[in-house]
This record gives sequence, C-alpha cells and structure tokens, in this order.
Amino acid sequence: MMDPLSAAMKAAAAGLQAQSTRLRVVSENISNAESTSAVPGGDPYARKTLNFQGELDRAAGVTLVRASEPGLDDAPFRLERDPGNPAADAAGMVKRPNVDVLIEMADMREANRGYQANLQVIKQSREMVSMTIDLLRS
Amino acid sequence: MSDMALFDLAARNAKWLGARQAVIASNVANVHTPGYKAMEMRAFEDTLARTKLTLSATSARHLGATDAPVTDGAKREAASWDTVYSGNSVNLEQQMLKAGEVTRANSLNVSLVKAFHRMYLSSVKG
Repeated sequence: MMDPLSAAMKAAAAGLQAQSTRLRVVSENISNAESTSAVPGGDPYARKTLNFQGELDRAAGVTLVRASEPGLDDAPFRLERDPGNPAADAAGMVKRPNVDVLIEMADMREANRGYQANLQVIKQSREMVSMTIDLLRS
Repeated sequence: MSDMALFDLAARNAKWLGARQAVIASNVANVHTPGYKAMEMRAFEDTLARTKLTLSATSARHLGATDAPVTDGAKREAASWDTVYSGNSVNLEQQMLKAGEVTRANSLNVSLVKAFHRMYLSSVKG
C-alpha cells in the first residue's frame, strides 16, 4: 500500500497531464480553424475531440485519469462560395473546417480551471507532508 | 487506557486525513471524466468505532474476524452539490472546500502532537 499523500499527488499529476493534453488539442483546433484542403474539392481539417477515462490504480488505491486518443468530430463542414480559392471544387464551393473558435475558447477555460485545481491539490498535499516533517524539527 | 493513546489517536487521525486527501485528489483529477461519481471517506468517528476491537480468527470459516486497516473499505459515494449532463458528480468548489478542511485539520493534528510532546518533555526534564 502506497502512502496516501503520495497517492494523492500521483492522482493530481495524472489530472495535470490529462488537462494539458486537452489544452494541446484545443490549440491544434484553433490554429487549424481556417485550414482548407490541399487538393481542389477535398476535405479540410476536421476538429479533434478528446475524452477522459477514469482508471483505478490498485497499488495506490486512487482513481487516476487518462486522456483517450483524439477522435475526429463528424459535424458537417462549412460550405462557402469562393471560386478563386485553390481548394474550390468545380462548382466554386470551398469546404471550411468544422471548428467553432468560441467553443474552443470555452473548452480552454474549462481545461485551465481543471489544471489549476489539480495544482492546488498538489500544493496542499505537499504542505501536509512538510507539516509532518516539521514535527522532527521542534 | 495508556497515556500513549494520545499519540496513537493522532497517528490514526493523520492516516485518515491522508487517505481523505487522496480521495479528494482522485475526485479533482476526474472532474471532467464522463460518468465518474464523486467519492468521500466515512467520518473519522465511524472509522474509529469500526476498527476498535476485532475477534481473532483461528479458522477461515470464522465470521467477523477481519482485521481491516483504518482506510480500507471506508470510501463511499459522496452527496454532491450537482451532477452534470455527462453523469459526473464532482463539484470543483466543493472539493476545494474539502481539501481546505483537510489541511486545517492536519495543521491542528500536528500542533496537538507538538503540544503533547512538549508536555512529555517538561515532565521528563522536571
């Protein structure tokens, strides 16, 4: 059986990693919000989505979190008429990515908040450990 | 009851607080996991009452002879402030409040141990 405070820090560290993976995916989506296809009439960048899974760590007795492999959002692409665009098809229509920057921003805020909470838990666990160690000093 | 029961009680409380902090850390880590239910430790008084005396087992068929440690099987589903659409019942504000409670209780516990220790020292030194 692992020391519960180390287990707490392990769980919080897993949370930090999951939330930063989520932030990475959000930034990929935002940076590719206008990426069209390289070939005429082709599909543009598809929005990536992420899911979190709880995972019981039996040795530590805590539920860690893991981010799944990114999946693709199957929402329809935005169609726009722009005959001069290199990615336009024969009818002059261009497919734009299905990324909504507003949604990505909200997602980023949420990931940020989760990251901060995990960081706070690590700080408090460390404080508890050092309080116990300070018993030896007095 | 021996005088050292004070230290034993403080040690048990510290162990329980550590386990509670681990449970809170799991909840915070899974704050965005779909379907995750927030957990909570049983109250310290209950845990203490359950782990007082256990019958010793001389056969595997004896009942009620389990010698469970303080933190085992003490988790249960927590009453949460709200459950979101994905089935997740972790409320971040509630968890941070609980984490603050744990830190405060740990600080009290450590101060008490220090005070007991000072008392012992002063009686030994005279």
